[in-house]
Amino acid sequence: MKSAHLARRVARLAALGVIAWSGYAGPSFAADPDLAQGRQLFLNGVAPLPACALCHTLRDAGSNGAIGPNLDELKPDAARVAAVIRSGMGPMPAFTALTDAQVAVLARYVSTVTKP
Amino acid sequence: MALAGLAPWQQAFAQEARPLPAYAAWKDASAMIVHSANTIELRRTAMGDGVITPARQLYVRNNLNPPNADILNDRDAWKVQVDGVRRPRTLTLAELKKMPTETVTMVLQCSGNGRGMFPSKPSGTPWQVGAAGCVMWTGVPVRELVRTLGGADAGARFLTGTGGEVIPAGLDPKTRVERSVPLAAMEDAIVAWELNGQPIPLAHGGPLRLIVPGFTGVNSVKYVKRIALTSAESDSSIQQTDYRMSAPDAKAMNPADPSVWQMPPKSWINSPLPESGKLRAGPAVIKGVAFGGTNSVKQVEVSTDGGATWKVARLVGPDLGRFAWREFAADVDLSAGTHQLASRVTDVKGRTQPEARIENKAGYLNTSWRDHSVTVTVA
Repeated sequence: MKSAHLARRVARLAALGVIAWSGYAGPSFAADPDLAQGRQLFLNGVAPLPACALCHTLRDAGSNGAIGPNLDELKPDAARVAAVIRSGMGPMPAFTALTDAQVAVLARYVSTVTKP
Repeated sequence: MALAGLAPWQQAFAQEARPLPAYAAWKDASAMIVHSANTIELRRTAMGDGVITPARQLYVRNNLNPPNADILNDRDAWKVQVDGVRRPRTLTLAELKKMPTETVTMVLQCSGNGRGMFPSKPSGTPWQVGAAGCVMWTGVPVRELVRTLGGADAGARFLTGTGGEVIPAGLDPKTRVERSVPLAAMEDAIVAWELNGQPIPLAHGGPLRLIVPGFTGVNSVKYVKRIALTSAESDSSIQQTDYRMSAPDAKAMNPADPSVWQMPPKSWINSPLPESGKLRAGPAVIKGVAFGGTNSVKQVEVSTDGGATWKVARLVGPDLGRFAWREFAADVDLSAGTHQLASRVTDVKGRTQPEARIENKAGYLNTSWRDHSVTVTVA
């Protein structure tokens, strides 16, 4: 119980940037093919749909789309990414042609590589 | 090192504060909360007592990133196409400036202002009260423009504005910022090129913006390049699948749900606030702003006991018309203890600001007086 509390506290401080999260060295794409697939989907889209990269900047993907929000700044969590892909937001249309699996992979990828 | 005297957790938060984006770098940084590059609001503590909000303190909400600033290099050359009239044509800003002009003072308020007070935490910017300001716009009345071009086409039911953001090739054209409002709004709408007496900055839609008084900010289309009187609402995503009053549990916005258009009556207190410092028991003045959306303010009441009793406040400052907000003030006696301060406005049509917000999926149009109340401690 006590160690779980400590772990939550350390994670929170790490999120605030107060301490370095020494045990975390960024997503390992080799060990996690879903993240690699997420990047591929982000950059290339699913024809004939436009790719996320066309509108959004995301450092990990090397994209500099400048029409929609910069995802490195927005740092959306996976649920928000999935909700916006499915339902659209503002001028962004809903990407209803994507499968549940594709949405999940994209949501996980974007939230993982932008995690503070 | 300004941060040197702060505790580590304070430094962490101080470092988290985002800088103003380049296109809004001229804003008063100390008065603004930067949620993201395209969502910037005014702090409640910085609302001040003057009726007009200076441009440097006016909130920013861009639905797409703004166009390149070079569109301001030759403002007079900016073109707007007018359709849905007997004689459709393209006019330059220089030509518009030769027509009869009007100035309207109005509350510009983001549809989601107050979203941050929804316990359901809807997706979107958690605005408090600062995604609003009272500003003056100058330009040509749309009704004059339409009259000059021979009148509206038969069957026109909506006034539709299209923004000039550059949409990359390959994107669905429905991604454009295009909003439609009921045609009746044309009587009050203007095509504006000045904000508070100066050319409209890029952050606020310059060189030319369609202004729809009484409606939420999204309906006043920035960088307007086309104005059309149309028989149907725009098919854009921002018209059809967002800015709708959909049920909180709806999976997605339903285009059949009511569009977010006119603003309902709303008020809030700007002084005193919990941040105002220690309050001493005795006489105090409660101050704030109140507006009726599309109607003039009839009365503002304030409460110091969380809405159990109410007292009529006095309206101060100039009455700048039915679309502007009124400053209000109420003299009260505050005893030692904790007080929940609240305000509620009634417009001349008898609509009173409600206690409860209307729950909706995206957290739009929060006018709840209880949500906007503040709790202060008096020593």
